[in-house]
Order: sequence, then C-alpha cells, then structure tokens
Amino acid sequence: MIHETLAATNAVVTLDVAIPDVFWGWYVTMNMWAKSIGTGLIFMLFLLLRKNHSEANGLRTSTAIVAFVFINVFLLFTLADLHQPFRMWHIFAYTHLTSAIAVGSWMASLFLGLLTLLIFLGFKKNDAAYDRVLFWTTILAIPVTLYTAGIMAEATARELWQMPTESVQMILAATLSGSAMFILLAGSKLSEETQKFFGAILGLSALLAFIIYMSEYVFGAMKAEEVAAILQYVKGDGEYATMFWIGQWVAYILPMLLIALSRASNSASILKLAAILAIVGLWVVKHVWLVIPQLLPMS
Amino acid sequence: MQLGFLVDLHLCMGCKGCEIACKVENEVPLSTWRLRVKYVDVGTFPETKRTFTPLRCNHCENAPCERICPVSALHYLDNGIVNVDKERCIGCAGCVMACPYGAIYIDPETQTADKCTYCAHRIASSMMPACVVACPVEANIFGDLDDPASNISRYIQEARGDVQVRKPEKGTNPHHFYVGGGNFHLNPLASRREEGYNLFNKITKLPLGGHH
Repeated sequence: MIHETLAATNAVVTLDVAIPDVFWGWYVTMNMWAKSIGTGLIFMLFLLLRKNHSEANGLRTSTAIVAFVFINVFLLFTLADLHQPFRMWHIFAYTHLTSAIAVGSWMASLFLGLLTLLIFLGFKKNDAAYDRVLFWTTILAIPVTLYTAGIMAEATARELWQMPTESVQMILAATLSGSAMFILLAGSKLSEETQKFFGAILGLSALLAFIIYMSEYVFGAMKAEEVAAILQYVKGDGEYATMFWIGQWVAYILPMLLIALSRASNSASILKLAAILAIVGLWVVKHVWLVIPQLLPMS
Repeated sequence: MQLGFLVDLHLCMGCKGCEIACKVENEVPLSTWRLRVKYVDVGTFPETKRTFTPLRCNHCENAPCERICPVSALHYLDNGIVNVDKERCIGCAGCVMACPYGAIYIDPETQTADKCTYCAHRIASSMMPACVVACPVEANIFGDLDDPASNISRYIQEARGDVQVRKPEKGTNPHHFYVGGGNFHLNPLASRREEGYNLFNKITKLPLGGHH
C-alpha cells in the first residue's frame, strides 16, 4: 500500500478540480436487483418443472407475469439512468459488439420477448408449448444474468469488479432472489418438501455469496493497491461500512439462520420472513458494491 | 500515423495556460475539464515543493472506453486519436466507469460523454492542439509516434529511462507519456486528499440530467 511511503513524501493534493463522483448510483442498483429477481424466477420455475412437474400447475402464468414485471422494472431503470434516454435506439442501430452493454441490451430485449410469449402461452393453457419455450428462456436467462458482470469487468477503472467473482455473484443473486420471490409467490401451493427445497436454494445461495464477499473483504486487499483502497470504504468506520454490514446481515446471515430455524420448526412463516429479508438485503449489498469503487479518485 | 503526447514535468510550472486554452478552444462547460493541472505538495516544511501534473485523455491504444461504448460513440481515428461522437452518445456513462484515468466526464450542457480529443478538429487543419500552443515553456510535446524523426519520438529516445505512462498495469498502452514524473505525479493513491486543505474548497458543480 502506497500509504507506507507517505511519511517520507508527505504528498498532499492541494489543487485538483476533478472530484470523484458516483455516476452509477441507485438507478443501476435497481437495474441489477430487478434483473436478478426476473431471471431468478425463471430459473426456479424451470427447476420446479424438473423436480415435480405437477406442482407447477397454476404457477406458470403467474411466475412469467411477475418475472415480466421485474424485467420491465430493470429496463425502465436502465433507460432512466441514461443521460440521453431518447437515444436508446442507438444501441440497436449502431451496436458495438465488444460492448457488454450493447450485447446485453439485445439479450435482455429477446428475453423480454420470450417472457411475453410465455405469458401468452400461459393464458392459452398450452403447457407443452410453454415448457418448450421455458427451456430456451431459461438458457437465455443465464447470459442475461451474467452480462452485468461483463459490464463491470469492462469497467477497467474499477479494480474491485473482477469477472470471475462478479459472474458468480450475479448467478447467486438470481438464485437467492429468485428462490425468495418464488417462495413468496408460490407459498402454500407448494408441498412442504418443495418449500424446503427452495429454502435450501435460498440458504445455500446466501452462504456462497456471503463467503465470496468475506473472501474479498479479508483477502482482496492483499493483491491490488486499488482494491485495498476501495475496501477501506467498508472497513472500520468507513463511509459505507455500516451499509455493507447491514446488507450482509439482512441478505445473507439472517436468512441463513431463519432457514435453519424454519427447517427445524417446519414453519412456512419463518421461511417467508427469510425470503423477504433476502430480497431487501440484496438491494443494499448490490448498492454498496456498486458505489464504493466510484469513490476512489482515478487521477 | 499514431499521434501522441509527452509532458516534460521538469518544465511544467503549473501556470494552467494549457487548461484555459483547452477550455476556450473546446468551449468546455463550467465545472468540467478536458485537461486539468493537478497540484501536489510534497515534503515537510521547510523541505517542500509543489509539483504540477497536466492530466488529459491518454488516447490509449487499447482504450477501455472505446471497448465498453455500446454505440461506438467513442471511436478511433486513423491517426490514433480516440474521438467522441456526441450526436451518437446515449450518455450511459460506461466510458466514465471504464477510463482508469478519470479523463471522461458527462457534459452538463449536452448530457453526453466528452473528453480531450487532442483537438482533433485543429489537427485536421494541420494545427497543433490548443494546449501545446499555449504552453509558455514547451512542456507539452505533441507529434507522430510512428515517425522516428518527430519531436516526440526524439524526446522519448533521449529521455529513455525517464519516460513513464500512467497506470501501465492496466494494459491500456497510453499514447500519452510523462518525463520526470514521480509516483506522486502519476499515481492518485500516492497522495492524500484532505478535506478543507485545498486551494479551491468550494467548487460549484452544474447539475447533470439523469445524474443520481
């Protein structure tokens, strides 16, 4: 860490007009959070069809509708975050294929189209066609979930965001929030065993995501000077430290504990509480991780 | 032709002539800068000195801003300049997030990305960038890196071991070099930023649409 040299050089910036600022704020947090829920729901419906086909009856249309709503929330906030929202069509007219933003926009649009088709097939009660389309929708949901990690990886300036960890975190965010939303959505329509199955997905997703965050928190600073400087914002009395720990507790630690408790006591209510906390906490976790690299001066 | 910049930090005296010339030439709005000169005070009294570092877009050979731009608003010109098409830009700020040098900003008047273009419009008319013309000590050296006889190439050959770029570990291959720079000149983490300990403490910022 360069701070070690400060006593010798005592270098202090006395005039620099470019103050670091947060350009991707809570609109982008909403984007990531809503997309996680939208794609995660599709993953969970696909799993349910594979696990117990009959239990999916009555859930196909409602799941597709809720996923459709969240994907639209994601797209709405994506659009709102642009400084020139009326030029959004440029992405499709002048697509730059090296950009994860451009490729992701195409995939997200196609994903929305497939969700619309699923809703249509759901209302038509054409389960066979629905299940075939759901298969391809689920396949597409994987890159749709991952492309935000690609955008973060292409943000060369932000050393904290590395593709391997961010891509795993994106998938875990989808399985965490998707299972949580599915527990709330399907609720009593699911058997006790199936509820426990989705509870286990929620708990394991929380555990794995928590392990990754803690690994970065403890060991991230040991490889890169910039990462060390960024992590200072969530360490000790750092500006975002409180928010970081609130996120970790609400999104991961408490849901894990509550799921263990719900399994021991066979309580669906406790499981639902864990689901609500996970969904709320995920927003906080995502927001902190999005903002802290932007607080670091780049020049 | 690959155009590049070199700043001889031995010569720069922090007059900000380049900064002002750039502002005027490119009509850079209030609260934003294509080129700025950073002051860093080094040492402990009475052994102190003030250092000056002009900072602008590095026109990287492997530019992260060009790669992340979804609409190719940031694009290469044949002469190596990374240019901005403000009519095409959608203002996603991906380039702002990608640039490791903090050289890109959102223009509060057009709500699009903007940055130093090495005065591409002047180059097209066979003129030097405004900052080069304004520098009273010729600390800004500009020219063709592909031409071994150019001023900048000769400067690089002569300075050899003393030529540096900012953040070489990022793999961006900047076309912007510094001679005579120390760690505190080029590494933003090598100097402290203390609240209230600044020549200008109250900098007004213009509001940005969609800036949250």
